[in-house]
Amino acid sequence: MSNQIQPTGLDETVIPTHVPESQGRLIWRRFVGNKVAVASVILIVVIIVFAIAAIGNGLIPGWWKFSYKELNPQVNRGDPTLSLVPVWLGGNGVSLGEHPFGQDRIGKDYFAMTMRGIQNSVLFMVVFGFIATFIGVVVGAVAGYYRGWVDAVLMRVTDVFIVIPALVIGAVVGHWLGSLGAPVLAIMLAFFSWMGIARLVRGEFLSLREREFVEAARVAGASDARIIFKHILPNAIGVVIVSATLIMASAILLETALSYLGYGIRSPDVSLGLLISANQSAFQTRPWLFWWPGVFIVSLALLVNFVGDGLRDAFDPRHRRFKLSKMRETRSEPELNA
Amino acid sequence: MPIRGKLFRKTLTGVAVLGVAALALTACTTTGSTPKETSASGGTVTVAVVNDFTSFNNQTPQSNLDTNGQVGYLMGNYGSAFSYIDKNFKIVHDEKFGTFEKTSDDPQTVKYTLNKENKWSDGEPVTADDMILAWAVGSGYYDSATTDEEGAVTAGNRYFEIAGSTAGLDATAFPEIGDDNRSITLVYDTPYVDWELVNPIAQPAHIVAKKAGLGSAAELTALLKGLAKGDPAAPVAADPPLKAAADFVNTGYAVTAFPTDPDLLVSSGAFVPTGWTPGQSFTMERNKFYVGTMVPNVDKIIMRVIPDANAQVTALQNGEVDIINPQASADTLTALENTGADVLTGDQVSYDHLDLNFGSQTSTVFADSNVRQAFLKTVPRQQILDSIVTPVNPDAKVLDSQIWVPANEPYADSVKNNGSSDYAEVDIEGAKALLAGATPTVRILYNTNNPNRVDEFQAIQESATKAGFNVVDAGSPDWSSLLAGGDYDASIFGWISPGVGSAGIPQIFSTGGGGNYNRYTGTNDDAIATQTTLDPKELIVLQKKIDKQMFADAYGLPLFQLPGVFGVSKRVSGVEYMGNQTGPFWNFWEWSVSK
Amino acid sequence: MVSFILRRLLVSVLILVAASFLMYVLVAYSADPLQDLTSSNSPNKEQLINARVQLLDLDVPPPLRWVLWLGGVAKCAIPFANACDLGSTVSNAQVVDILPGALAATVQLVTLALVLAILLGVMIGIVTALRQYSGLDNTVTFISFFLYSLPAFLVAVLLKEFVAIGFNNFLRDPVIGAIVALVIGLVMGAIWQSLLGGDAKRRLVVFLVSGAATASVLLLMSATNWFMNPGLGPIVIILVSAAIAFAVTLVLAGLRNRRAFITGGINAGIAIAGYFLLQPLFDVSSAGTLAILALVTLAVGAISGYLMGGYDRGQNIRVGMVTAGLCGAIVLLDRFMQSWGDLLEATNGRPIATVGSKTPGASGDVWLSGLDAFAHLTLPTIALLLISFAGYTRYSRAGMLEVLSLDYIRTARAKGLPERTVIMRHAFRNMLIPLTTLVAFDVGALLGGAIITEKVFAIPGMGNLFNQGLGRGDLNPVMGYFLIVAAMAITFNFLADMAYAGLDPRVRIR
Repeated sequence: MSNQIQPTGLDETVIPTHVPESQGRLIWRRFVGNKVAVASVILIVVIIVFAIAAIGNGLIPGWWKFSYKELNPQVNRGDPTLSLVPVWLGGNGVSLGEHPFGQDRIGKDYFAMTMRGIQNSVLFMVVFGFIATFIGVVVGAVAGYYRGWVDAVLMRVTDVFIVIPALVIGAVVGHWLGSLGAPVLAIMLAFFSWMGIARLVRGEFLSLREREFVEAARVAGASDARIIFKHILPNAIGVVIVSATLIMASAILLETALSYLGYGIRSPDVSLGLLISANQSAFQTRPWLFWWPGVFIVSLALLVNFVGDGLRDAFDPRHRRFKLSKMRETRSEPELNA
Repeated sequence: MPIRGKLFRKTLTGVAVLGVAALALTACTTTGSTPKETSASGGTVTVAVVNDFTSFNNQTPQSNLDTNGQVGYLMGNYGSAFSYIDKNFKIVHDEKFGTFEKTSDDPQTVKYTLNKENKWSDGEPVTADDMILAWAVGSGYYDSATTDEEGAVTAGNRYFEIAGSTAGLDATAFPEIGDDNRSITLVYDTPYVDWELVNPIAQPAHIVAKKAGLGSAAELTALLKGLAKGDPAAPVAADPPLKAAADFVNTGYAVTAFPTDPDLLVSSGAFVPTGWTPGQSFTMERNKFYVGTMVPNVDKIIMRVIPDANAQVTALQNGEVDIINPQASADTLTALENTGADVLTGDQVSYDHLDLNFGSQTSTVFADSNVRQAFLKTVPRQQILDSIVTPVNPDAKVLDSQIWVPANEPYADSVKNNGSSDYAEVDIEGAKALLAGATPTVRILYNTNNPNRVDEFQAIQESATKAGFNVVDAGSPDWSSLLAGGDYDASIFGWISPGVGSAGIPQIFSTGGGGNYNRYTGTNDDAIATQTTLDPKELIVLQKKIDKQMFADAYGLPLFQLPGVFGVSKRVSGVEYMGNQTGPFWNFWEWSVSK
Repeated sequence: MVSFILRRLLVSVLILVAASFLMYVLVAYSADPLQDLTSSNSPNKEQLINARVQLLDLDVPPPLRWVLWLGGVAKCAIPFANACDLGSTVSNAQVVDILPGALAATVQLVTLALVLAILLGVMIGIVTALRQYSGLDNTVTFISFFLYSLPAFLVAVLLKEFVAIGFNNFLRDPVIGAIVALVIGLVMGAIWQSLLGGDAKRRLVVFLVSGAATASVLLLMSATNWFMNPGLGPIVIILVSAAIAFAVTLVLAGLRNRRAFITGGINAGIAIAGYFLLQPLFDVSSAGTLAILALVTLAVGAISGYLMGGYDRGQNIRVGMVTAGLCGAIVLLDRFMQSWGDLLEATNGRPIATVGSKTPGASGDVWLSGLDAFAHLTLPTIALLLISFAGYTRYSRAGMLEVLSLDYIRTARAKGLPERTVIMRHAFRNMLIPLTTLVAFDVGALLGGAIITEKVFAIPGMGNLFNQGLGRGDLNPVMGYFLIVAAMAITFNFLADMAYAGLDPRVRIR
């Protein structure tokens, strides 16, 4: 595998259109080789598709009979009707029943609420991730490319934002805008969460801008914008994608933490964090109210983290598999084929 | 030789270092673990509270908080002393502490007489001087301040800052002192209906006098006696000793750590503060000088600050606290029952209600009485009760009066006649008939941060839509600042009913009342009249009239009283439910700890 | 250097001022400090509202009020004037007065969590890097990702439920059944065999020995009612001290280094002697005594290492100090355990607490209060630790792998240096470089996480101040919180930069 790595450098800039393709294919192959990451991607897609198919979203109709907003009469004191133990094992047979995940205290269907929670949490995660990444990339790229006073100013601005812990700014913004729904909250929070990416991208740009292919592009008369976005950025895309994934995983947890403090998405809309924190007193008495959203929060965060890890491995050829035993052997055998 | 010298120097340095280290060690040791105090017989009860303690004077505008009030209750300067309020919201006189009675109706005269044995916790006797000080604080007699709209004093003086209202006591002259400096007699110029709530024991006069630079409590009384009543029209320069005394009462009791000055801890009640770890726990021990009825069985009461309701439940389960008063939910209740604690449920004094806006500037939807009635007919009060309150308190009933709660005696009688039965059931058809095909838009304001209100809104929205209303969600976390603005058609929020007294009525139900957010004018005259009606029977008649008029005008609907839960560990007995701010502390003298 | 620090300081102050404006205006517009009063039906509501408006200058628009606030903060810069004015809370307490207590509680929590997270994270990261793609590595990777994906309050609630209440319930009748002991033994055996590695036979032996040892020790502890009267006793202390001396020498110097080995042995011996001699002193000890003893211990370790001499005195000194420190800790641990009975008595037999940071009324000597603090802080520290622990394992694992693939490591190996030297002295230091940046970011995350941990465990720290302040629209304590947190973030960033320069000779501070 290692011998397939293309040397980067001058040849790339000669035929710039081909290089991203071949490099992309290489990364793709490395990523696909990572079973955990691929399985995670598949699972995430399954969860999202299932959540949307179940209760629909906007114009898409869902197959589930209840909406997350409607109030239904209490069935079975709101206990879950989901039964997974087949009859031949002495259970009640595999069936969903009227309210598979139970109902909340005013009779809303908890299954529909959980599905809506997944949709909102994923929406929050994606919007937050994209916007924070976008701002971070632009700020980092401009600062790293132009250096000098532009860099100084932008980095001081970054420092201003960095001194405020994300949760603090989240609490303030959420306190203010929590009732406006997931996208608005995500956008506002993203405005305060781009600093990590900006710093990383700036670092990449600072070193990449000194490379020969940038010089070549500049000599060829390319504009600054073209150099930044067409020439340098594709070479820094690995850092960007990996941090974007990781920031998305943290977004789910940030939303959960905000909901716990009472500053997240607010009822009657639903997020996984809101469900789990609204029902934390049910932990001992009606655990399903607590565990269903909990399971989805942990799974989503975990899966996204796995994807991020897989992407990191795929983008960074230095993190290739190697065995210590093999390395030990190389001591007596200095002719290592690297 | 040089080598030896070097070695010598080194040795010397080493010896010196060793010596210093040994010295430092001895300086840093203690006298060994202190011998354990022989634990007294009554034992300790630990109670969870939500807020930290901030001041020994809970009657300033800034310190009027629940925990301060509870500490004050145990120290005898707030809600205890001459009388206390029991769980049925009756005023109970503590005849052992002292007596008070109305001796005449015209002019209304009330006489307070202290028990001879009564002492403060520093051993000084409780005298009429202390009552005079409490009267001076509570009446605002010496104030001559004129304030601007923002509340800043523009002319004259304001001495004592108090959270309560001066209403009532402001109509009294300087009290007459008698019975060997053990009694005072208050004469009210205008009748004061809540006279029984006046409890003239607050700060110890001898301490306040000392802090104001006066020699004794008697000197303070003499000073007060010599000063004229303040007149905003003709303000005079502030009296320096009184100003000093007032400044001490206003700010001297506010603390951020346990005071080193023992004067601040002087108590006339059953307990004396003995320790405070800010943010964590407040400790009180028995006052050995106390002679009233509320003599406790337990030796020590510790208040532990636990803001989170779930943390309170686990702390009770883990034996860290004995009594908790968490926010009630069905799950909390079941969790408590599972832990084997005693669970006491009841109603809180606060109740949620739906008010229709009579004076909305942006919509005239509720100008029409039929629309108001139609809307109220759709409110599913029983359903709301069943989902929010019944799981906690199975005996709860829908609240049917705007004036009383079921614990008050006149409630049952009033409910029979006040017309609330018109809205007992959801009547979609009736509402449709009243609407006659119209589909009015109703914007409802509520607190989106409060899960109860959110659920109430959703239930009302669902039901009202069936009758043809278009219910718009105007909820906001900033609901409280929007309340006075009037840019909504209906509002859902809560009032705290004091349980006793009637001072709140004109506040809400008179035309210019500070709490009359929905600009309702139908009961103005009666609401104002309640404040000067001294005869309890007449007062009730008046209040019933208000109650009835409000249902007739389709003012809005009371929804339910919030349910409350106490969890009590098995080792403590004697705790009883109480819905007001005093909470579980109301009968602290009946608590006992089993070994 | 000096000009660099001065420039950083100036820029930091400007950043702080700008960020405080942002924060002030955001908070002021997002929360209503009059909320509880506007919904009250008290007869003198207007007067109460006016009083609060006067107290907090609410009639001044927020951007201007920020200027007033900043004026008060600026007074803090006057040395020795004690004129700091951070405004007051809604209940008229000066923020300056309530801040120190809150700060102490939070710093205690966060520092402990940070140090433990770094130590554990780096250790586990290195071990997993050395066993890359083994069962251990995969398990640890999964567990650290899993912990990282858990919401902080969920962890806290679970810890309270199962660790605190569960352990306290266990203490009522502290008997470990044979089956439980067996299961724990199996688990420990599995962990040890994958840690130590080797061929199948060696793994099996390790598995059996460590599993059996664990299970039998547990049963022995249960039989002797150890959980009610814990203690190590002279035999265990002698054995453990010897093991420490052995292990420290093994890791830091290699057993072939005789002088280092002797240094370790001497220090273990001194610790054992100290255990017998110092008990009377311990009984009258205060925190000051313990601090002095700790310094003396480290000094003895250093001096003994120095006196041992040899070609590498630095190494001997390190071995001496680490051995002395660890052995001293064991002796202290034993003394703390002796106070366990007092703690049980003070807490009605339920020592592990779920709220607060000390038992009210449990006053006693340094041992009891230390143990009490431990019983209160363990769970919140674990809850907080898990937030950042995963990050350190991942980063140090990746860093170690990267460093190990570099040429100079190959050179070192080619020279024939032992693996221990290659890892501990060549790879370790370079692996730490990228971690310094992580620490700076992590402090912010921990302080944020403390908001939640403090809420769940009812600890009156900074997070509590912030959360309650924001909840009731109380601006000044929120800003007090912000000032401290921002200052800490800036300081740690600065320290990280300095550490970076210290570790990486290529970076120069201008």
